[in-house]
Amino acid sequence: MSLANGLLYFFVAAALMGGVLMLVARHPMRVALALIGSMISLAGIYATLGVHVIAVFQVLIYVGAVMVFMVYVIMLLDVRDPSFLQRYSGSLLSGIAVAGLLAAALAAAVSRGGAAVALGADAEAAFRIQPFSAGFLREYWLHFELTSVLLLAAVVAAVAVIKGGRRNDG
Amino acid sequence: MDNAQLLLLASIGLFALGLVGVIVRRNALVMLMCMELMLNGVILSLVTFAAQSATVAGAVLVFLIFVVAAAEIGIAIPIVLLLSRQRHTLDVGAYGELKG
Amino acid sequence: MNLLTLIVLLPLAGFLLNGLIGPRAGKTFVSLVGCGLPVLAFAAAVRCFLQLQGGDGAALLETAYTWAVVGGTSFDIGFYFDRLSAVMTLIVTGVGSLIHVYSTGYMKDDASYARYFAYLNLFLFFMLLLVLGRSLLVTFVGWEGVGLASYLLIGFWFEDPEKAAAGKKAFITNRVGDAGFLLGMFLLYHVLGTLDMDSINAAFNAPVMPAVSASLVGVLLFIGAMGKSAQIPLHVWLPDAMAGPTPVSALIHAATMVTAGVYLVARLNGIYAHAPEASHLIAVIGAATAFFAATVAITQTDIKKVLAYSTLSQLGFMFVALGVGAYGVAVFHLYTHAFFKACLFLGAGSVIHAMSGEQDIRRMGGLARKIPVTFVTFAVATAAIAGIPPLAGFFSKDEILWFAFSSETGGSTLLWLVMCFTALMTAFYMFRLLWVTFLTPSRMTHEAEHHVHESPLSMTGVLVVLAILSAVGGFISIPHFLEPLLPLARAQESLEHYEKPLIVLSVVLAALGLAGAVYVYRGGLARADTLAARFPRLHRLLSGKYYVDELYEAVLYRPLHWISDRIFLGVGDRFLIDGSLNGLAALAQRAAGRLSRVETGNLQFYVVLAVIGVVACLGWVLGHG
Repeated sequence: MSLANGLLYFFVAAALMGGVLMLVARHPMRVALALIGSMISLAGIYATLGVHVIAVFQVLIYVGAVMVFMVYVIMLLDVRDPSFLQRYSGSLLSGIAVAGLLAAALAAAVSRGGAAVALGADAEAAFRIQPFSAGFLREYWLHFELTSVLLLAAVVAAVAVIKGGRRNDG
Repeated sequence: MDNAQLLLLASIGLFALGLVGVIVRRNALVMLMCMELMLNGVILSLVTFAAQSATVAGAVLVFLIFVVAAAEIGIAIPIVLLLSRQRHTLDVGAYGELKG
Repeated sequence: MNLLTLIVLLPLAGFLLNGLIGPRAGKTFVSLVGCGLPVLAFAAAVRCFLQLQGGDGAALLETAYTWAVVGGTSFDIGFYFDRLSAVMTLIVTGVGSLIHVYSTGYMKDDASYARYFAYLNLFLFFMLLLVLGRSLLVTFVGWEGVGLASYLLIGFWFEDPEKAAAGKKAFITNRVGDAGFLLGMFLLYHVLGTLDMDSINAAFNAPVMPAVSASLVGVLLFIGAMGKSAQIPLHVWLPDAMAGPTPVSALIHAATMVTAGVYLVARLNGIYAHAPEASHLIAVIGAATAFFAATVAITQTDIKKVLAYSTLSQLGFMFVALGVGAYGVAVFHLYTHAFFKACLFLGAGSVIHAMSGEQDIRRMGGLARKIPVTFVTFAVATAAIAGIPPLAGFFSKDEILWFAFSSETGGSTLLWLVMCFTALMTAFYMFRLLWVTFLTPSRMTHEAEHHVHESPLSMTGVLVVLAILSAVGGFISIPHFLEPLLPLARAQESLEHYEKPLIVLSVVLAALGLAGAVYVYRGGLARADTLAARFPRLHRLLSGKYYVDELYEAVLYRPLHWISDRIFLGVGDRFLIDGSLNGLAALAQRAAGRLSRVETGNLQFYVVLAVIGVVACLGWVLGHG
């Protein structure tokens, strides 16, 4: 087993472990930390595949912005309410069963076969920062602009929600 | 099993774990985080396919999904905040007005 | 030259005019239209009759309208005018017009004057359809129509529930008979492929008979005739039908509608001539009806009911004549009966009018001096029905008695004896009626006596005309007139020499009846009451009309009512129909209640359900993809 493959297996296992920890942890902060761990493992997977750009963005955006925001909110709120004492809802068994079914169905679809993926070398060319950004802004600049519009809308919406909420609270 | 299949199975596993979390956990913030986990599982499969095709388009798609995910979490958390301020609890079991 | 169609359509026009604009147009307009159009129809009938005579009896044919063409057969509305139709049409339009004129006087003060004349014209329209129809189908339309008109007119004063019930009874009893008529029609069509009555007669008279039992067809059609002409056991509606206005009783239940059955059998003589069993049945039922009706008439105390039972009895006479093969003689009696029975009924109407509505003869008496015209015409008609020569009834009744005795096809001494006894009773109860109403000392209340007055000219004029016709009508020998069409029955050779003695005997019977009535009722009702006291059970049986109505009530009405109430209403309607509908609604409600448990308000449960759906779709795609 080569190093790349070993790393791959390791990161995959870590991601899945993080997911399981998310389910069993009681304190939301621990859940957030488990999620962060999962995400960093995913970034590791991306790096092993040679998709460096995406790996970096994963850490920057997802962990650095999204999860930090999440952690702040958890810190702000009082999390010791009924959901703390009783972690699980009434649909525990049905949830596990249903998700298991879904996983089985999807796995059956996947195992029908497809093209193998080569890791590493070829990918590296397209997924370095320079070819990526050049291609991005040359061919997909419209999408880029549209995403900035989307973010603007999100900002406006967030402000409106908070302001309206404050008015309701009086 | 080759790497592609492994990664796809991993993404299915992450998705299923996130789904279980959405269904079984009672805290609203934890539910949101599990939804993020589901999204990450999907992104993993997308990246796998992008690595297979080795074009720029795959990476661009994933990048745009990051943007959208950020926007989404930016709205979802204020909503949960406001809801929790009304009921003074983060327990989703308390929101049962749609019954019947 | 569509005269036949015109004859039929004129009364229909009268119905439409009087029915639609009559109430607003005033009594004069209604009287003019209501009486004028039938008179015009009579004139047209006379014209057709002259044409018939000019053509030496060849029938006039007119097809008014082709109703349907099914396969190879064409169902037309066609009219057929031969000698038999001529006699019937002239009676219907002639006596009908007279009764219309009488009604203008009788119904003068009634609020629904226009409706009355509309219905009367409607009746005339249907009766003419019946009589002039070429095909059994057209006749059947007329048959049903006169039943409808009879219902409308019997129940004319429908606010009184008893009168309305009488109308219903008439209609329903008719319908029972019509079932037989329909079956006969279907059978005939099935075998012969045509419903034209002249073709049917020709087919049965042909050397090779059609492949159906003539007796079966004959009996089925006779069942229809039984209903319409009130023979036992479907006679129960006729006495109750006296609830209608008296001119209606005269027109429909004496002169025209009830004779439709006689007309039908006479018209289809081709079938009956080859159906000995059916003819025998007709004779027996006719005799039974005549006899039993006469026995009941002796005890009745309502002036109209006596006449109703008398009609039943005379119809029995006609059917006896038909049963022994003397078709022309039956039609002859129909013709004379129309005159004297109409005169009697209208005379009774005049008496009721004079007595301001009283109909019970026990409260009358001594009217002869007070209403002389009515009295004289009534007396003439009574003598006619009793069979006193040379009035009309004598000729026709005597011929019937002769053929009942001597006909080769069904005549027998027993039949003749029964009919003789009936004739004796006829004379007795008719003269009883005459004496008790007019000639005995008065039993009227003082008030009624004060108000007695003669009827107006519109009524008395008609009475005089009809009395004259009852007197001289017998001299026109209808059987000989109809002979080319309806061959005379053959009398047995060995009995030829009895003919003259029998004539004398029938006159003696009439005289005996007169004498008996005078003896019992001369001084009043005292002798009759003592006679009744000596035979109380017999008297009760007769005055109770043999309790036939009660029998029908117990045997037919009550079980039917029970079935309708318990089974159809209770089980069928309430339990099955309502139950199933309510059950469906309840089921829907309960199902909705159960299904609404899906909406728990719990978000995570909804997610589970969604994922189940997704898994199902995936599974299907993977399985079939």
